[in-house]
Amino acid sequence: MHDVLFQQLINWLTLGCIYSLLALGFSLLFGVLQVIHFSHGDVALVAPFVALASIQILAASLGANASWLVLGLACLVAILAVGGLGVALDKLVISRFRDAPAMMPLVATVALGIVLRELIRHLYPEGSSPHAFPAVAEGSVSTPFGAIPMISVVSVLISVGLVLLLLYVLHRTPAGMRLRAVSQDREAARLFAIAPGVVFRRAFFVASAVGAVGGIFLASYAGVVRFDFGIQAGLIGFSAAVVGGLGRLGGAIVGSLLIAAIETIVQGYVPNGTSYRLVFVFALVIVVLVFRPSGLFGANRMEKV
Amino acid sequence: MEKVQVTPVRSERVSSHVVADFLIVLLLTFGAALMLWVFLLAESWVTVLGLLALFAVALVWVQRHPQIEHRIIDAFRVKRSMAVVVGTLIALVFPWLLQGDTYAMHLLIIGNIYAVLALALNFQLGSANIPNFATGASYGIGAYASALLAIHFGVSFWLGLLVAAMVATTFGYLLGLPSMRTRDSYQALVTIAFGIVVHQLLMNLEWTGGANGLVGIPAPTLFGHSFNDPIELFGYSLPSQGNFYYVSIALVGIAILSAKRLHNSRIGLAWNALRDDEIAARACGINVTWYKVQAFAVDAFLAGFAGTLYAFYVSFISPDNFTFLVSVTIMTMVIAGGMDNTLGVIVGALLLTMLPEKLRAFSDYRILFYGVVVILFLIIRPRGIFPQQVRNHEH
Repeated sequence: MHDVLFQQLINWLTLGCIYSLLALGFSLLFGVLQVIHFSHGDVALVAPFVALASIQILAASLGANASWLVLGLACLVAILAVGGLGVALDKLVISRFRDAPAMMPLVATVALGIVLRELIRHLYPEGSSPHAFPAVAEGSVSTPFGAIPMISVVSVLISVGLVLLLLYVLHRTPAGMRLRAVSQDREAARLFAIAPGVVFRRAFFVASAVGAVGGIFLASYAGVVRFDFGIQAGLIGFSAAVVGGLGRLGGAIVGSLLIAAIETIVQGYVPNGTSYRLVFVFALVIVVLVFRPSGLFGANRMEKV
Repeated sequence: MEKVQVTPVRSERVSSHVVADFLIVLLLTFGAALMLWVFLLAESWVTVLGLLALFAVALVWVQRHPQIEHRIIDAFRVKRSMAVVVGTLIALVFPWLLQGDTYAMHLLIIGNIYAVLALALNFQLGSANIPNFATGASYGIGAYASALLAIHFGVSFWLGLLVAAMVATTFGYLLGLPSMRTRDSYQALVTIAFGIVVHQLLMNLEWTGGANGLVGIPAPTLFGHSFNDPIELFGYSLPSQGNFYYVSIALVGIAILSAKRLHNSRIGLAWNALRDDEIAARACGINVTWYKVQAFAVDAFLAGFAGTLYAFYVSFISPDNFTFLVSVTIMTMVIAGGMDNTLGVIVGALLLTMLPEKLRAFSDYRILFYGVVVILFLIIRPRGIFPQQVRNHEH
């Protein structure tokens, strides 16, 4: 019984960390731009495909026996490429809706998500079928309570590390201060010689790259990736960010852990839970928003007239 | 940002203007019908792309020359009743001109169903600026309610239409009430969550047939005429799709009529007021919560209608017809067509339903193309194909 509980705890933590990486991007971009980047999930899920393609190219040039190096390099290439992709998408599409009503960028990014998914489907060989994704780490660590799969250890550690790094950059470096300044008041920031365009580009790069790490872990944890995984990943990441309170990075993490907890509990303890998993997750989202309309940690804005 | 200019309706118009109005309305209505006709019957993708390019060029041209746009709007305002009569006549005669092409007819019916859905969503998104990603769910609730009633209790299509709309409305209230506390993105998420919960329940519950859905929904009958039979008139015959075409046209008519009536009523005014400034509306004594919930109910009611029609038309429904992406498609139609503009919303719905189907020549690439077209339209014409008009208080 303790073993099962322990395994569930590990599952929860792993899933929660992966979701956090996806949710952070939503929250960060909303905080800076007041825009819901609905294709963020799809952008993040481009990463596993770039990684898979890079593995093949790198393995051919480096030799198959350097598999760890190949996997690591491939993931790095994927993360950087997806960060660049985020910036490019902003430049091409999202930036055109900076001053438009909030619904316009929302619909535009939904359409962008469709385009991204279809591009993967067509450009990647046999893109319609699921592709096996290698585990980023194999084996397991044994503890007195039971074995922890290495992949969980790696994803939790890297996620925590990334979050700490992100918080450090945001709160302790000049670049982070500029970003926070722009998110508080774009015009005032401009008066202090902060170029919002540069800040937006950086925000898109960071959000997309962090999302890419989440996408790679998600594919690796599931062992498989398909072109349309981005929809669900995006919806869960968005929900986690909103439940926590948009623009609050800590909130996004708590929201992710909450959603992962519901998923794990339902899958483990409710009969036929795997099929009803999403029902419970999104019912929870509704309940949270009924009682906390601005999310768990969102500031309850009083509007001034 | 370009400003919308208010063009007052001049009471004394020069007679040459009247003739010009007459010609503009006649030319544009028949031109649009002709374009639709060519588009529907086009076999080659070159024609389809050519028409699309023509349409895009016309839009860019109108975007560059606002005075032409105002002239056209002016003409339609003066000759409103004529435009309505001509439009109705064209809608009634149109299927007979399709040379018995059942596929073109099918596209028209699906297009009309989506037009009803888009008009339903327009009450919320266009009139009151409430994001609602659950229209697809209300559509599904309507379809399943009428289908279950027909299969298990033999309830007829006509009664099912009403009952399903009632059921969908009840769920609309159920969704409207909890989402009232939230706003903007948070409200969007509540509706998204509702849509996913409904879809997942349809997918997993026993009595909705799970992922396989419901099959064998009987064809409706009217005065002994089964909808499986062709329509015979003066020796001419229209394929059986014609029956559903006329029902779908009637539904679009009902939707347009309710849109006009509501727009000109206190409720429509209240919706517009809370769209422009919620706090100001509240300060003027408008019960914001009440009117928002009403918007959800109206949306669900019309979506329930559309769902029933869809279920009986294809006689087979599955949860896949009512996913989150369906809601997103409906929302795209409203925004690309022009928020709070009835005509724009209908054009958006027809265009975005038929476009992917007519692009079958590109087989797999059509969804990609569709996504690109939506983004381009949003960039070319940021306020929609037919932008929202300033309220005209002079009549």
